[in-house]
Amino acid sequence: MPLNKKLQKFSATVRSVELGTGDKTTTLGGSNTYPFYTFDNPTTNTAKIGIEISDLGLAEEPDCMKEFYAGCETVVDMAKKAVTVEGADFLVLKLIGGDPNGENKSIEELVETAKSVADAVDFPLVVEGCKNVEKDSQLLPKVAEALQGKNVLLMSAKEENYKNIGAAAGLAYDQLLGAESAVDINLAKQLNVLIKQLGVDVGKVVMNVGSAAAGYGFDYCISTLDRVKGAALGQSDDSLLMPIITPVADETWSVKEASASEEDVPEWGSVVERAIDMEITTAVACLSCGSDAVILKHPTSIAAVASMIKALV
Amino acid sequence: MALTGIQIFKLTPKKNCKECGSPTCMAFAMKVAQGAVGIDKCPYMSEDAIAQLSEASAPPMKTIEIGKKPFADNKNDTDASFKLGGETVLFRHEKTFVNKTRYASTVSTAMDAAKVDQILTDMAKIDYERIGDRMYVEFIAVDHTDGASADAYAELAKKAAAANRALILNVKDEAAAAAALEAVKDTKPVLNGADASNYEAMNKLATGADVVLGVTGSNVDEIYDTIAAIEKLGNKKLIVDLGSVSVKDAFANAVLLRRACLDKNPDRTAGYPTIANVAKLAPGDAHMQTALATLFTMKYGSIVIVEEMTYAQALPLYGLRQNLFTDPQKAPRIEPGIYPINGAEENSICLTTVDFALTYFLVSGELERSGVPCNLLISDAGGLSVLTSWAAGKFSAGSIAKYIQEFDIENKIKNRTLVLPGKVAVLKGDLEAKLPDWNIVVGPTEAVQLVKFLKDMQANGQA
Amino acid sequence: MTLFDRVFNGSDAVYGLTEGAINAAIEKHGADKEVSFPNTAYSLPCYYGVTGTKVTNLGELKDALGVAKSLMTREKRLNDAFMSGVATALCAEFIEVLKYIDGAEPYSEPCYGHLADAVIRELGVPLVTGDIPGVAVILGKAPTADDAAALVKSYQAQGILVTLVGDVIDQCAEKGVNMGAGVRVIPLGKDVTAVIHVVSVAIRAALIFGNVAPGDAGALMKYTFERVPAFVNAFAPLDDVVVACGAGAIALGFPVITNETENIFRVPKSLIVQEDVSKFNATSLEARDIKIKITDINIPVAFASAFEGEIIRRKNMQVEFDGSRVDCFELVQTKDASEIEDHKIEVIGPDFDEFEFGSKHSIAYIVEVAGKSMQSDFESVFERKFHSYINCIEGVMHTGQRDMIRVRISDTAFQAGFRAKHIGEVLYAKIKNDFDAVVDKCQVKIYTDAEKVTELRHSLAIPAFNKRDDRLKSLTDESVDVYYSCILCQAFSPSHVCVVTPERLGLCGAVSWLDAKATNELEPTGPCQVITKERVIDERIGEYEDVNEAVKKFSNGALEDVSLYSIMEKPMTSCGCFECICGIEPFSNGVIIANREYAGMTPLGMTFPELASMTGGGVQTPGFMGHGKHFIASKKFMKAEGGIERIVWMPKDLKEQVAERLNATAKELYGIDNFTDMVGDETIAEDPETLLEFLTEKGHPALGMEPMM
Repeated sequence: MPLNKKLQKFSATVRSVELGTGDKTTTLGGSNTYPFYTFDNPTTNTAKIGIEISDLGLAEEPDCMKEFYAGCETVVDMAKKAVTVEGADFLVLKLIGGDPNGENKSIEELVETAKSVADAVDFPLVVEGCKNVEKDSQLLPKVAEALQGKNVLLMSAKEENYKNIGAAAGLAYDQLLGAESAVDINLAKQLNVLIKQLGVDVGKVVMNVGSAAAGYGFDYCISTLDRVKGAALGQSDDSLLMPIITPVADETWSVKEASASEEDVPEWGSVVERAIDMEITTAVACLSCGSDAVILKHPTSIAAVASMIKALV
Repeated sequence: MALTGIQIFKLTPKKNCKECGSPTCMAFAMKVAQGAVGIDKCPYMSEDAIAQLSEASAPPMKTIEIGKKPFADNKNDTDASFKLGGETVLFRHEKTFVNKTRYASTVSTAMDAAKVDQILTDMAKIDYERIGDRMYVEFIAVDHTDGASADAYAELAKKAAAANRALILNVKDEAAAAAALEAVKDTKPVLNGADASNYEAMNKLATGADVVLGVTGSNVDEIYDTIAAIEKLGNKKLIVDLGSVSVKDAFANAVLLRRACLDKNPDRTAGYPTIANVAKLAPGDAHMQTALATLFTMKYGSIVIVEEMTYAQALPLYGLRQNLFTDPQKAPRIEPGIYPINGAEENSICLTTVDFALTYFLVSGELERSGVPCNLLISDAGGLSVLTSWAAGKFSAGSIAKYIQEFDIENKIKNRTLVLPGKVAVLKGDLEAKLPDWNIVVGPTEAVQLVKFLKDMQANGQA
Repeated sequence: MTLFDRVFNGSDAVYGLTEGAINAAIEKHGADKEVSFPNTAYSLPCYYGVTGTKVTNLGELKDALGVAKSLMTREKRLNDAFMSGVATALCAEFIEVLKYIDGAEPYSEPCYGHLADAVIRELGVPLVTGDIPGVAVILGKAPTADDAAALVKSYQAQGILVTLVGDVIDQCAEKGVNMGAGVRVIPLGKDVTAVIHVVSVAIRAALIFGNVAPGDAGALMKYTFERVPAFVNAFAPLDDVVVACGAGAIALGFPVITNETENIFRVPKSLIVQEDVSKFNATSLEARDIKIKITDINIPVAFASAFEGEIIRRKNMQVEFDGSRVDCFELVQTKDASEIEDHKIEVIGPDFDEFEFGSKHSIAYIVEVAGKSMQSDFESVFERKFHSYINCIEGVMHTGQRDMIRVRISDTAFQAGFRAKHIGEVLYAKIKNDFDAVVDKCQVKIYTDAEKVTELRHSLAIPAFNKRDDRLKSLTDESVDVYYSCILCQAFSPSHVCVVTPERLGLCGAVSWLDAKATNELEPTGPCQVITKERVIDERIGEYEDVNEAVKKFSNGALEDVSLYSIMEKPMTSCGCFECICGIEPFSNGVIIANREYAGMTPLGMTFPELASMTGGGVQTPGFMGHGKHFIASKKFMKAEGGIERIVWMPKDLKEQVAERLNATAKELYGIDNFTDMVGDETIAEDPETLLEFLTEKGHPALGMEPMM
């Protein structure tokens, strides 16, 4: 007697959001099962991987990334190299240099960088701000304006600045909007509702419901992702049916497991391996709970995660 | 459907005899309802009541114990074994996951002795503590390869057993299995080798040696049927090997079995812990093994076998496991104490915050980023976030002052500047009164602002 | 002459002009001559927006004029006047577009004329976000150039976008007003028809930001009414053409404010006569419902949460107001909008510099608010924030509430220039900012005159407090139409939903029905949502279909049904932050209550933490329930099982805290005096047998009640 399989069919489907233009587009979301549950329903669209670079070039990058991008003189060079990485579905440009507590680059300079990268590569593009709420609320609208017609995803609109970024990206310049909230299903929901009330087409919204590195309060991420997916599919909750994008590299490369030097902790072995495995584990954990896309840094991690996705669908 | 505490209470003798160890029948009934104690603890239950309760309260997924001392996590409690399975929910936010995933490295009869030694030595190096838990490779998978003799396999098993870990005997060859069991059965290994073709013989070996039997098959139906057949032979000490047909199949097996046993109408034949052998699913590809080990940690693997666990794999996997198996309703906590950051010493500035792990990680991360040497003072705030603990009266001028005294901070640290989380600026006055020797400074309200805050303090010569 | 006559006359006049101009143009250039505005993808934006038709040449423009004419119906109904106004606006657009034939540049410094799409996208973002809180269209010639400059500057200071049409441009230039898109003062043109260029901005905003389909005039007008906060200031004298254009503005939802008194007809909220030009600003903002965010609080010392915990000691105390010794109070009062002059701060009595160092005095501050959504129930919610507001002032300390406050001003704050009115500034700014969803206008009165304070305390404050207390007492679950959800705790208790009713506050003890109501009003998408209770399933246990639906929705499906008044049947779930837990004690046929602070054993054989571990997490545990302390004396406390009569035990501390109110309820419901004397505590019993003996001895009513299970 075979196992009585309790297959789970949902009436709701996570919205498909297309990123990029022309031949070079990639689709985020679109599934109607829990992640990789192809036995419930065959997957029409797989999880996606972004590769990140920053406007700071290689200055702040660990040695292994300097090696990978050896020979690249500009951010544009790095972008061109990044899009060749096997398994990467989209490029992520982080404009970290805008941080007023860091380099505090001008908005004009950052917009110029974004424009030069977008012009140089024919690849779906995500542009992340510097994470300073005030600066991003000025910066991202300008990026949205400069990249009109490229259908890029701008990250992120938060509760404090969703109006500026949402109005610019979602209304004025017809780009995609990333909505970021801090590991809590209700905060995610609330922000999505507010963005909808602003008049933004919810079909153009992707959400980042928060992230952490494995071992660093990641339990909250798991439960938030699980619950968002569960409510979106199980309750057909319209305000949670946006695809989820999770910036993983942001969290993993700074934790001590991934950054402590081999001199400081000789027993731990290769720092590159540690950084890669931390990135892989965190990414896979996010994908297995509900992220529709993850953003990674190292080509080896990207290859491993991509081959796992391939093996599962 | 499980019975409520009230329903169970009605079946108790209602005499508060305390013989069960609980002070009242009500308390006992509530504990039974939670699954914290068995109904057999009550000597006065009627047979009828017991039958009624057993049916209703039998767990849908069995808890299987493997291994014997000294493999326990708790070094003081050397008789304990590894408990696997016993899960009650599909998602951690519903209720705490019960028995955490365990990991194994692999030795095989295809390896030469030097390789086996190297693997065992490297494995032993991974042994550290993280937030109160011992992190190490708890299992060794001992693979039998085609053509290897029974003696050679038994020798390998013995060598592995000497490494003080619990064993998984991956063997389909009857003679080899018998020989290995003979050699190491006292360590209570898993005999992982039953399938549709050999389950009767394997079952006999496992029951004879009183060890857990691992069952597999080419698909989930075959696995399920084989379990049913073995159950019919009277053996319910089983574990499911999710198989190595493909990643996709193994994953489907893990989810489908877990789902079937935790269904509203539980299918208990599907309710056994599982082994995910990612070494066999991605041989020779360590990064893919990291990915798959993560996947099966998240989704329902009780034991995950890799080829050779490295520190690089262990650090994120064990951290993830620790997060995954925490109580979703209890905030993870950090031990109160002094946490020096960036090489802080007794003259470095002090900052204080609560013992809620998430707050700690955020704050300590930003402090590290600032590069400014500082002492992070963590007091007992009930494991709550800053505002919650403040509202609950657990993070107050009194509690901070008491902590400073109890931890003898004034003798351990000479610096007398204490930075308070901006959200509890309201404590400043009180704290100044309670700690007259200290310069109390109100810090930023968000952790991300700490870098600038500390750098500014440093620039002003205050830190 | 009626308003209709004026609109129709103006409309006809403009039509005649337009027809002549188009005919002349066709004669000169031919019907195929291209017409367009530069740098827009929206053709003639107003005409395109209203009709969905693009005009490309003079021939089509002539056709369009026919369409405009068809709007000019002449019944004396409001709608005819509005549509004629819209048609007048379209005519103005036609006249303006003719100016651009052959790539001409009809406008020169400082006038802009037609604005490019790029400008609209750029201005649209701050408009949508509210960073530009309004758009002023100033038309005609101000009484004096100084009036013009002052009005423009007043809007500029508020961040409002100003567009200028007509002689006011020259007046501003004369006074050296800095003009240009960068400073948000845009002179459009000197002809009255140039006003169409700002209408064009509003229409394109609707098309770009509102996704309004061109031709959907209804959606267009809805958008401009709801989302484009524009208004018109038209200076006297108004000719019929301006009146006709004004009707068009009103049709789009933009009120017209004028100082014209001759031959004008007031239309409430739409056509407003304000003879005093210096009050155009306030009148316009009120008419268009525009609220200006306050970014700076104008006080001579710092204002930050970092000062909240500051303690001012006697030796540094310039002056003290102590409600325990002299009369003092703080009060929020709801008034009619007409009674309030926004941002008026009055000090009645001597200021701080008239007091001796270290002396004690009376003080009262009354914050008067008005707003369309303001409800007197919110008064106490605002008032509770005063403590934190005043404490955040550097050098000022505040404790207590109502008429038991104490305020200390430090010598350093005083020396920095801190005076009585600054308390008003802080209260004004914070109330306006934090509660802008409900407060439209706010003024503050500060009394330091001791006699006046004493009189007001007795004549005003105490009656107000009493009235509020009575209101609270009279608030019952039956007397209100809706309850509220609270899901603040879902971060760690995902499936838990509190249903907050007047008689059952949130189980954390912190969220009353009034709080939840205010939270909902102030943050409509927040944690507190309205729950209706119209479809009763079971009156006895308090189960409603609509409550169940809400609970299911807010728990994301985890919870199907709850009762409000039973602990045995479908009890409400608990998150984990409950103040107390009550649990069934089978031997005495009642319940015991343990509070969080209680560390000992209860007669159930379980401690508070043990009970908590069984009750929390958003699961229903029949027989056990978390709740707030305040709920213990409620008439709804386990009403289905017989109510508070079932309480047989609670810790001594808790019993003392709730005794007064609990005894009153017991007296009212059952006629029992000193009910708490019959209730056990840890000094009497920590096991069920001893407790039962005690209860028997006292004749506790629970013993004689129906069995609970």
